[in-house]
Amino acid sequence: MDFLDIRLDMIWDYRELFIRGMGVTLALTAAGYLGGFVLGLFVGMGKLSKKKWIYYPSKYYVDFFRGTPLLVQILLIHSALIPGIFGHSLGYFVSGTLALVLNSAAYNAEIIRAGIQSIEKGQMEAARSLGMTQNIAMKNIILPQAFRRMVPPLGNELIALLKDSSLVTIIAANDLLYAGKVVAGASFRFWEPYLTVAILYLCLTYVFGKIISYVENRFSNSYVPTQRKKMFSTRS
Amino acid sequence: MRFLSLGLLLASVSMLLFACGTAKDSGTSNNSGSSEGTDNKKTKLIVGTDATYAPMEFMDEKGEIVGIDIDIVKAVAEAAGFEVEFKNYGWEPLFPALDGGEVDFAVSSITITKERQESFDFSDPYFIANQLILVPEDSTVTKFEDLKDKRVSVQINTTGHTVTKKLLGKTSSKIVAPESMPLAISEMINGNADAAVGDNAVIIDYKANNPNVKVKTVEDDSFEKEYYGLMVKKGNTEILDMLNEGIKLIKENGKLKEITGFDVK
Repeated sequence: MDFLDIRLDMIWDYRELFIRGMGVTLALTAAGYLGGFVLGLFVGMGKLSKKKWIYYPSKYYVDFFRGTPLLVQILLIHSALIPGIFGHSLGYFVSGTLALVLNSAAYNAEIIRAGIQSIEKGQMEAARSLGMTQNIAMKNIILPQAFRRMVPPLGNELIALLKDSSLVTIIAANDLLYAGKVVAGASFRFWEPYLTVAILYLCLTYVFGKIISYVENRFSNSYVPTQRKKMFSTRS
Repeated sequence: MRFLSLGLLLASVSMLLFACGTAKDSGTSNNSGSSEGTDNKKTKLIVGTDATYAPMEFMDEKGEIVGIDIDIVKAVAEAAGFEVEFKNYGWEPLFPALDGGEVDFAVSSITITKERQESFDFSDPYFIANQLILVPEDSTVTKFEDLKDKRVSVQINTTGHTVTKKLLGKTSSKIVAPESMPLAISEMINGNADAAVGDNAVIIDYKANNPNVKVKTVEDDSFEKEYYGLMVKKGNTEILDMLNEGIKLIKENGKLKEITGFDVK
């Protein structure tokens, strides 16, 4: 349509909105991810428990939050759950964060469970035969090894969460996508605002990707091609 | 062997997608072909709308698009002698759909504004609307100015959003602007906003349908009158003339007043 007729001044007029949008997106992602990791740790361990009253709630939790769309969860939490409990809304940030935490915890739980289960049975047996209790063996022997295997999928989840946070636009959160929508609606132009939004998301995921590969490298003692290893070692 | 079958699968999927794409393309070109009226049958125009705006345009229990706007367009079509088919696009996708010729014209309580006229053409006005403020029953708000330092919810990218941006600043974080008018009203009910601002017809309809919710409406004469128009692609005078002809006819024979309850000059 009008590929060549790009009006950047329009984006510049709304720079405040885009910058705030990036801040909100980052804050939502960070809060959602940290909360989701901690809760996911509990739920993931719960799914490994032999006790039925721990196992089944954890299992159904994952089934529900992984099995329903995040968009629906956001609407449910924002328009029904929170007003239902408190009598009034607590703002988009609270409902948005809560939805992201609950949703991300379900995915993280599965990553954590699979990571722990991927450690050979002999490791636990050896630790126990050295006199460690189940909990100490888990903390000192199993989890450190499992964590290394969890890093790549956990990183993946972080990137996915960053992008999924754009769904909170539906409840009028002032996030990055919202900024694009406001500009598009004010100007009836769609290339500039949405392309700007796409590029800004790309910048954010690129930076996150860099951090993830750094962390991955730090925790990895397995095979990495020599050239890449060198590249990272000069940097750190 | 596995790679071969995977490749075949991918190839067949992409062929399928391609086929769907071309089938859809030829479908729309057929439509535009018939809209030029080359055959003897009545011209059929594709009308785009955002059917989330009761009572103007919304979906009934059967999924049919109904409402005051829809009745008006049907009357216009009957008067001017063409057929219409309604398609639900949603508010934002409506504009590129019109630009790309997917729909022939749009009806969706679209207020005729200067900004919109830069990108699209409008028919003669067929409806007069006002912004109306909806507040909790115990609210002290008596005029629009009172909302200056309050949180206001509006449907995103509507004229309600525009007037609120004028009052609060165009990047104000006190504007709560969700996707639809029902969501905007629920933000006010849930206490996330002090007031909701929207077209009078919708707000009045909401109040009538929810008599148990403790809210009241606040009128403000400083709101400019808004005129709804049918929107066509810039420069599409052929369809614009047909629409204006129809609107003129239903204004003359009183059909428009029958539907909306008032005259539009």
